[in-house]
Amino acid sequence: MMIPDLKFRISNLKSQISNLIAAALTVLAVIYSVPASAQLSITANHDNITIDFFYHGSTVSVKGVSEPNTDLIIKISSPEGIETLKQKGKVAGFLWMNTGTLHLKNTPNLYSVHSTKKIEELLSREEADKYLLGYEALEKHADLSPVSGEAEKTKWFEEFIRLKESLSLYKTSSGTISLTPDAGRQKYYIKTDWPYQAPPGDYLVTVYAVKDGNVIEQAGAHVNVEQVGVVRYLSDMAKNSGAVYGIISIVAALGAGFGVGMIFKKGGGAH
Amino acid sequence: MYLYLPVALTSINILIPVGLGLAVGLLSGLFGVGGGFLMTPLLIMFGIPATVAAATDSNQIVAASTSGTYAHWKVGNVDFKMGIYLLIGGFIGGIFGVHAIKILQATGNADFVIKMTYVFMLGIVGIYMFVESLNSMRKNRSEKADKEEDSKLAKLLRALPIQTRFEKSGVTHSLLLPLFFGGFVGVLAAIMGVGGGFLMVPVMVYILRMPMHVVVGTSLFQILFNCIEVTFLQAYTNHNVDFILAVLLLLGSTVGAQVGAVFGRKLKGEQLKIILAVIVLVVTVKIVFELTLTPSLLLAQSGGH
Repeated sequence: MMIPDLKFRISNLKSQISNLIAAALTVLAVIYSVPASAQLSITANHDNITIDFFYHGSTVSVKGVSEPNTDLIIKISSPEGIETLKQKGKVAGFLWMNTGTLHLKNTPNLYSVHSTKKIEELLSREEADKYLLGYEALEKHADLSPVSGEAEKTKWFEEFIRLKESLSLYKTSSGTISLTPDAGRQKYYIKTDWPYQAPPGDYLVTVYAVKDGNVIEQAGAHVNVEQVGVVRYLSDMAKNSGAVYGIISIVAALGAGFGVGMIFKKGGGAH
Repeated sequence: MYLYLPVALTSINILIPVGLGLAVGLLSGLFGVGGGFLMTPLLIMFGIPATVAAATDSNQIVAASTSGTYAHWKVGNVDFKMGIYLLIGGFIGGIFGVHAIKILQATGNADFVIKMTYVFMLGIVGIYMFVESLNSMRKNRSEKADKEEDSKLAKLLRALPIQTRFEKSGVTHSLLLPLFFGGFVGVLAAIMGVGGGFLMVPVMVYILRMPMHVVVGTSLFQILFNCIEVTFLQAYTNHNVDFILAVLLLLGSTVGAQVGAVFGRKLKGEQLKIILAVIVLVVTVKIVFELTLTPSLLLAQSGGH
């Protein structure tokens, strides 16, 4: 299409050259991106999880299509943030108590990675670090203070992982993505439990296609978690109008206390 | 059945808070303690963030202590006059306590000092109550010796100005006494982050010489006002009160407090004291274990006791 155009407008050489470059770039971009997105696709079944009164976590399934014979890594994570945690340590040789405060930066609140094989087998160290895949990469990326040296950073980061895993917020698994061949390509599918401990927010689901130790393609989807109805109303009220919320809580408690007291009086509880 | 808690941001089986409320409410009605020592760590164990657990517990205690105060008031076991003077003292003490904790935190080892003070206090109070009530149960009639022994202290206390009669308790004290000891418990309660029922009950029994049944009712009356204040401050400044969790807890605790109050009337003062002494000692041992056993996690969310 562009080539005949060029012939007719040969007089305006300057703009023609820039048009040509632009066209070439477009063609290049099309060549690279179109087949890529055709090869790797991703859908999360739940892009909007709503928290109502009876919410007890959910399940999220991620599926899509990839190039055949590639390994896949699926990462679900929340945006990076900061966390402040209490550290426990020994005092006077035998007493465990809070000995300090640990500040963490660049750590996601939720992080789960699932892969067809173990990440160490799939990716070189540099690639894993680049795409933040696996706890080791996360540790390198995170900023912990106060820590004196790498050994202490590793020690406290491992404790951090244990805390997060105990809350179901961090998770890793390998061999859990099911792959099925499909017309010269492969379909992938994984179903994961979405923890009820994950607070409302926007979460990113990314799939990485891996070959020969490198990430060759990636694609992303979103999972949005939000509170609805009374849950949202109460949560907003607690945050935005603390005084009214406090008074309502107190009045309700006083009312309940008196109410039950009355019931027991009528029921003949007093001697 | 599970319910989602909008402030704690977690989901809980409703039987857990209702059951916990019932058990802790029973203790409240029986002994005049708030039960935070039991409730807060249990809520944390069930996945409630520490700060929310402590704040919501105080909201729940408002309900339990209203229910309990009401039950004790019906049978004339609340000394409102004494309660109000203790409250005034406690309020002033609380302000000093908050400052004391800032000074302690500045020195660095606040947690160590607080925990140690708490353990020793509880241990001493528990052992003293246990031995004393055991003795008085054994020799109910030989009380004269005891009375003569502390008559010196009694004389000293009687020499203080503004002697006032507290009708309900049947005692005469200087007004300074409830103000001072209310303040003393207030300071300690603020430093340790607990309600102070464990310390206030022994103070009323052994120093103010009030009858045990009046002590329980009056202590609940006092706790009620403390917890109203704490709930408001927590909701207003920290946004940590979970209304739904509080409602679930108070469903159990208001009933538990009534049952406790009824049950308490069937027990003698000495029996109540000795059971409370055992509970205080069990709590002491529990804290000692917590301090010495290696915790499963070395990191925890900030806040709470």
